[in-house]
This record gives sequence, C-alpha cells and structure tokens, in this order.
Amino acid sequence: MAVQSGSGSSEKKSSNGENELLTFNAENMQSNMKIIYYSRTFLSIIGGVVAGILGFTGLKGFVFYSLLMAFTSLGLIAKAKFSIHTYFDSWNRVLIDGFLSGLMSFVLFWTFAYDIAHIF
Amino acid sequence: MGLGFAIGFIGVLILFHAAYSTIQYRTLLKITEEEFSGSPLNVVIELSLGLLLCTWAALTVPGKFLCILPHSEENRILLLSEPFIYDEVGRQPQADHTYVNDLLKS
Repeated sequence: MAVQSGSGSSEKKSSNGENELLTFNAENMQSNMKIIYYSRTFLSIIGGVVAGILGFTGLKGFVFYSLLMAFTSLGLIAKAKFSIHTYFDSWNRVLIDGFLSGLMSFVLFWTFAYDIAHIF
Repeated sequence: MGLGFAIGFIGVLILFHAAYSTIQYRTLLKITEEEFSGSPLNVVIELSLGLLLCTWAALTVPGKFLCILPHSEENRILLLSEPFIYDEVGRQPQADHTYVNDLLKS
C-alpha cells in the first residue's frame, strides 16, 4: 500500500516474520542503493587496473577482488555511521549487493591493464 | 564533491604513473633477460596510495546516504514546510495542522 506524502515521495510497507509492519521511504532507499552501486562499480574498475599492473594471475586476482569488496563494504558501513537500519532495510544491501556486477568490470579492466603493462 | 573529484583524479593519475613505471621495469627485464617475479617496491607503494585515494573518492563523490525512516527529522520538516496542500478534489483544507495530523495518524 503506497501513501502519498507532501514531498511526493512514496512509502512502502514491508512485513517480517512476526507480522510487524515497517514503513520506509522507497525513494531514499533507491538513492542509497544507487550510491552503493556507483561506489562498487568504480572500485571494481580501479581494482582491476591495480591487479593488472601488479601482474596478478588466476586465483590471486579473484582473492584480491574479494578483499577489495570486503574493504568497500567496511567503507560503506562506516559511511552509514554503523547504523545500517537508518539507511537500508537489511545488511545484505551493504554487504552483498553489487558484488557480482562489479566482478565483470573487474575482470575486464584486469585483463586490459595486464595486457598493457606486461604484454604489449 | 569537488574535493572528492580532485582526489579521485589524483588517484587515477598515480595509477597511470605506476603503470608507466611497470612498463619501463618490464622493458628493463627484457633487456637483462630476467623473469618478472614481482613489481618493485615503489610501484607497490604508488598503487596502494592510488587505490586509497580512489577508494576515498568512490565513497564520497556519489553523495550522502538519505534516511529511510518515515518519521525522521528530515522527512517531518519536509511535510511541515508546505502550508498549502490540496486534497483530491482540489479544495484547500481548513487548517494546515489538520492535514498533517491526518497524515501522521494514517
């Protein structure tokens, strides 16, 4: 059920296991998700370049990516001042979302940077 | 935001310099016919610094997180800042506080 407020933003109701109704501002939620997406994508690209320049191959590169994403998650949690539920509806948004989409960008720029620095 | 962009730009420049240094190092290795066993220490330090600066830029440039709680201070102020609010038929309500009270009750 959507309720119109004066600012034009909509509220959403979501329920958990105990049938408690929680409302949150969906527009702000989407804005926060966009911020996470941009941050992770940019850092995946930069991480790919760094991994390529360092000459990482195989599993080392993926381990580097995992560490980088863990570090990014920590940075995002710090940006949210460690009170996740003020800005997001679950911890998964900050910890897991964007992990796989960033991986493709990471591999692309990792290959590109490795080729430029070590092959050509 | 301007500062974030500048720091991100400096971070990217440092990465480019590190890439150039690595290319020169590889060329030297080809001349001396040695194998690449790892980047030199100065390149590793440059890359770490560039990564740190870019991380800071990535976390600050996209913007601030907005509160999603419906009864937070920011949202409440936004509701109260509109004195003339019309209902579906287009009639102005009798008093502003009536509309706000109704909203808060629902």
